[in-house]
Amino acid sequence: MGNKNFRSLMCSFTHKLIDSFAARPIPFKVMFDRFRQVLEYHNKAIEIIADMGDKLGGDYIFDVTYIRGSYAVLYDTLSESLANFDVLTRNKYPRVKDALRFIDQEIRLHVYDEYSPVRQLVLPYTGLGRNMVHEVGGKNANLAELKNNAGINIPEAFAITTYAYDEFMTHNGIDKMISALGGDAADAKPALDDIYTSVIEGSVPRDLQDALDKALSLFRAKYGNNCFLAVRSSAEAEDGEFSFAGQFDTILNVPLDNRAVQEAYKQVLASLFSDRAAAYHSQAGSHIGNIKMAVACLVMVDAAASGVAYSTNPNGDDGTVIINSAWGLGTSVVEGLTDADFYRIRKGPVPVIADERCGKKASMVVSREGGGITTAGVPDAMAGKSSLSSEQALELGRQAEDIENYFRQPQDIEWAIDKQGKIFILQARPLRIAASGVESQTSGVGGQISSYSILMTAKGQVVQKGVGAGRVFIFKHRDGMDKFLRGDVLVAKNDSSDFIRLMPYASAMITDTGSLTSHMASLCREFRVPAFVNAGSATQVLRHGQEVTIVIDDEDSVTVYDGILRGVIERARSGQTSMEDIFEFRKKRYALRYITPLNLIDPLMEKFTPEGCKTIHDILRFIHEKAVMELIDNAVCGLKGQAAKKLDLPIPAGIIVVDIGGGLDRTVERQGVNQSVTLEQIESIPFRAILQGMIHPGAWQSSPVALKLNDFLTSMMRMPDIASGNAKYPGSNIAVISREYLNMTLRFGYHFNMIDCYCSEKARNNHIYFRFTGGATDMVKRSRRIELISIILKEYGFNTTLKGDLIIGRLANIERSEQENKLDHIGRLISYTRQLDAILHDDAKVEYYARRFLEGNYEL
Amino acid sequence: MGNHRIMIIDDEKIVGDMAKLSLEQEGYTVETFLNGEPALARLGEQKFDVVVTDFKMKGIDGMEILKTVKRLYPDIKVIMITAFANLDTAIEALRGDVHDFFPKPVKIKELKASIQRALS
Repeated sequence: MGNKNFRSLMCSFTHKLIDSFAARPIPFKVMFDRFRQVLEYHNKAIEIIADMGDKLGGDYIFDVTYIRGSYAVLYDTLSESLANFDVLTRNKYPRVKDALRFIDQEIRLHVYDEYSPVRQLVLPYTGLGRNMVHEVGGKNANLAELKNNAGINIPEAFAITTYAYDEFMTHNGIDKMISALGGDAADAKPALDDIYTSVIEGSVPRDLQDALDKALSLFRAKYGNNCFLAVRSSAEAEDGEFSFAGQFDTILNVPLDNRAVQEAYKQVLASLFSDRAAAYHSQAGSHIGNIKMAVACLVMVDAAASGVAYSTNPNGDDGTVIINSAWGLGTSVVEGLTDADFYRIRKGPVPVIADERCGKKASMVVSREGGGITTAGVPDAMAGKSSLSSEQALELGRQAEDIENYFRQPQDIEWAIDKQGKIFILQARPLRIAASGVESQTSGVGGQISSYSILMTAKGQVVQKGVGAGRVFIFKHRDGMDKFLRGDVLVAKNDSSDFIRLMPYASAMITDTGSLTSHMASLCREFRVPAFVNAGSATQVLRHGQEVTIVIDDEDSVTVYDGILRGVIERARSGQTSMEDIFEFRKKRYALRYITPLNLIDPLMEKFTPEGCKTIHDILRFIHEKAVMELIDNAVCGLKGQAAKKLDLPIPAGIIVVDIGGGLDRTVERQGVNQSVTLEQIESIPFRAILQGMIHPGAWQSSPVALKLNDFLTSMMRMPDIASGNAKYPGSNIAVISREYLNMTLRFGYHFNMIDCYCSEKARNNHIYFRFTGGATDMVKRSRRIELISIILKEYGFNTTLKGDLIIGRLANIERSEQENKLDHIGRLISYTRQLDAILHDDAKVEYYARRFLEGNYEL
Repeated sequence: MGNHRIMIIDDEKIVGDMAKLSLEQEGYTVETFLNGEPALARLGEQKFDVVVTDFKMKGIDGMEILKTVKRLYPDIKVIMITAFANLDTAIEALRGDVHDFFPKPVKIKELKASIQRALS
């Protein structure tokens, strides 16, 4: 036998061995142990992520050793969780490992400073956001963020990256000239002049020319040749760290021609080394060689009017937006070339024009045919006429406020309105506000606002400190989320990762219960939403719709003031972002973008797959969800060889109990094999809770309700397997329990209930999964029944999914005591719904009986 | 806070940057250094009130800085910060009359409070 044959034989043997291993069912107890391991490591990992978010959040001085150390532990912890997950799921999701490998590679690049993530020269705005500031610069990043995530209208655009900048500089040997520059830019004028000239005279690398060709031809295909570009600076640090306002060049009205765009590109790049930019660097203490220039290419707006909007009065906040506007292109306003129109818009749900002055606009800047811009006289009829209608001014005010709320910081905004009246935002960058009042900024917010009326103060846990204000939105259930308005304050009983949808819009969040390490908490830190959990009774104290200001300090307390205290908010905001101003800080924090964001929000979403995992947090979420599902699917199947006991209850529910560890007390061991267990012998926390509910006085109706349904009800009560005492696991009415776990399937007639629950001291471990399905009646009644259960589950805070006659309710991350309470009510609901069909004769009854149930009236 | 002058020495730029920004907000004058040699030279030219130094650095390390400062400028308070916190280093620093000792990451609020105590 040749060596080759032997090898192939061995190979096939090994495969068979693996197959047979894979096919062998794992005892449920083993599975459950693995599940617990998955949970344990999952929680540890979430804690590390939270700690990293906290330490890198701006309140701590950290170094790279911390990031490396934390990430190493995080990686190991996740790997442990994954190893247990693989056993639990019998390697059902091998591609999770691929996702982890990819993410890990990206993180290591940053953590070990081998940082060069983007190797594209030109990037379309789709998919860009603020996290790409290193690749595309401040202006591109901010604009793309507004377009992609805040629904703000901006012109079509693409970015020429900082990677392209590096390529250009190396290609022309300018990188060496820059590194030869001394520390102080002011002393380096001759060298800077040389660099400036070299950039203007430099040649654009072939690859970049090709990339530009591609981008330009897309625009040409869409707009034809009568389309022009604004080619604008978007330096790495611009519009963020330092404003560099007006320091770098913008070339307007550039034809869609590769050569013309190249020239404009070089001019913008060269402006990084201009005299005025050098002076700015010198003053700001930044080093010219540290900044890379990306470029924004935006389709020119055929502007009827343009200008600037300050989302907050820069001379001290008075609750207004300031707008300057003139005819034609914005150059005349930003360069102060004309006497612009002035508007002050009072912010609020219904903005009003507080003040308005029409300037004498003698000249305007307009696009020249074929390219470039020119100054033109304003026709007499227009010179003394407002360049904006009242509606336009108000709409601009509204958008400015939206942008400020989105970025959580006052904004300096450039805008244009085209000849059809459509508003385009051309730039948004932080606006520095003069501190209002006499107090210095470092004195904290506490003292200044003591004279306002306090609605509540509470001790609890700070997820993200800060100040937020807006209308209170009391979250009841997922269906109501559409009504949440930008700037609202979210107040909810529990935390939930469902809130991610609201997060970019929420000005603050408070929950009655919740944990620092939940998915929601991580998200709040990521989005910098001031958030506070375990506030106790916020949902009781605060009224839906009332205006409040919330101050969350770092002493683990929250104060809610009546009304919107603008001065407090602005001051908090202007102090808050200062750490973001440090380049090194942002650079070091960069690795977090592959760690903390959560993209896999909803298990029902299409991309809830290993491929959809883009961050460590995503992987954790995926593993957690699938681990729970695996357990649910296997709880009843893998029971061979387990000792089963009949349960004696005051109601004829006929439940068989299988204890996989700590679910029954020791006295059971001394009992005979066929002896039943009693309620008192049950130690399982969730099981006890749900049984208490099921036997709750009145919940289990023992007499048939309506005679005409007698036959039906008789069939419901018929449980042949149980009644005959034949405990052969009929596949229904089985409870698999441990001290902290319950998986129970109950069939009453045609109603099928399934509940899976983990109930421990750690809120973030806990979940309730409840499924109800039924048949044996017409569709109308079925849907009424589902509707009724849905109303009740939502009232208890469950997220519900309806699929035909099936309703699934999920609730996670809740404290043990609260969970026991919920389980008690679910128990009552299970008993109550047994005879439900009998009474739901019309739609009106649904709401009526749901209310009665919620009030504790179980009479049918 | 008057015109108190603080020196930060850490071989990682981010530490100096963050400390400088937070302490300047409090009204201090702050100078940062990436290693010990130029920092000690600077102490010869300019009076400082507090020196915040990393413990483990290439060249002159934090312990050496502490000893030199205490020998030449006994009035200057020294605060040590380190990523490699253990009892031995803490004890060694305390023997060298360190004003305070923080493991990294350092809570900015605590560093500020410590500096305030050093100055009072």
